[in-house]
Amino acid sequence: MAIGDIGLMGALRTRMQWHQARQRVLAENVANADTPHYKAKDLAKPELPAAAAAAVSGAVGGSLGTVRAASVTLAATQAGHLSGNGGSAFKATGGQPFEVRPSGNAVDLEDQMAKSAENQLDYQTVASLYQQSLALLRTAVGRK
Amino acid sequence: MAMEFNQSLKIAASGLKVQSGRMRVIAENIANADSTARTPDGDPYRRKVPTFVSKFDRELGAAKVELGKVERDKADFKLRYEPGHPAADGNGYVKYPNVETLVETVDMREAQRSYEANLNIVTATRRMISRTLEILKA
Repeated sequence: MAIGDIGLMGALRTRMQWHQARQRVLAENVANADTPHYKAKDLAKPELPAAAAAAVSGAVGGSLGTVRAASVTLAATQAGHLSGNGGSAFKATGGQPFEVRPSGNAVDLEDQMAKSAENQLDYQTVASLYQQSLALLRTAVGRK
Repeated sequence: MAMEFNQSLKIAASGLKVQSGRMRVIAENIANADSTARTPDGDPYRRKVPTFVSKFDRELGAAKVELGKVERDKADFKLRYEPGHPAADGNGYVKYPNVETLVETVDMREAQRSYEANLNIVTATRRMISRTLEILKA
């Protein structure tokens, strides 16, 4: 059994991947902070699949749902088609622009900085939780 | 997936590169703020304007930023009455570059601010990477 098959670990891992993807989107926004007609993007929060959400809110003892987003891949209809490198599994959202400059650019640097800091903090929280869960497993197998 | 942090760093690096390129153009403008022509029919230095292009990098799978073509400012030259100047026309007026040092200074501040924002992203990403590596040290 892989470590990701444990509900909690899988969920934490997906959450960490989500923060990584979000950091990439924020980097894109900041790099394009002076590009005309560029609109800031953000990632939608990962959603619990319906079945898993039911398990979380349902009966005690139900297994914790793994937050798993389906990866979007290119359709290969011919033998020679390449699959591409998968692309991100998370959905990008437009978000509400705070202000649009005369050049058509809608990136608010302060907003992006705040989001980046928030993303970093949340990532550290999830990473700590992951580490704690690993320690829990280590205790379960009887090692200190 | 694991490459995502590297992508963030590379995107931020493209932002840093563009902002320093912009600084170079601004420096050129300020340095040439008084560069007149030598003859009455010649044109003085024309202000340069950097442009930014968002370019989708297929290898990276994300929108990087690049410095586009450096355009020339189409605004009129400033005329100053200096009859003794070698570039003075029949009425004694000399064409001076269309560079406003105040505008350049403001642009410089903006470039600086954007540069710092990109650096911030690099720092935040690096912290996230080192936090990931700390999981190993449990």
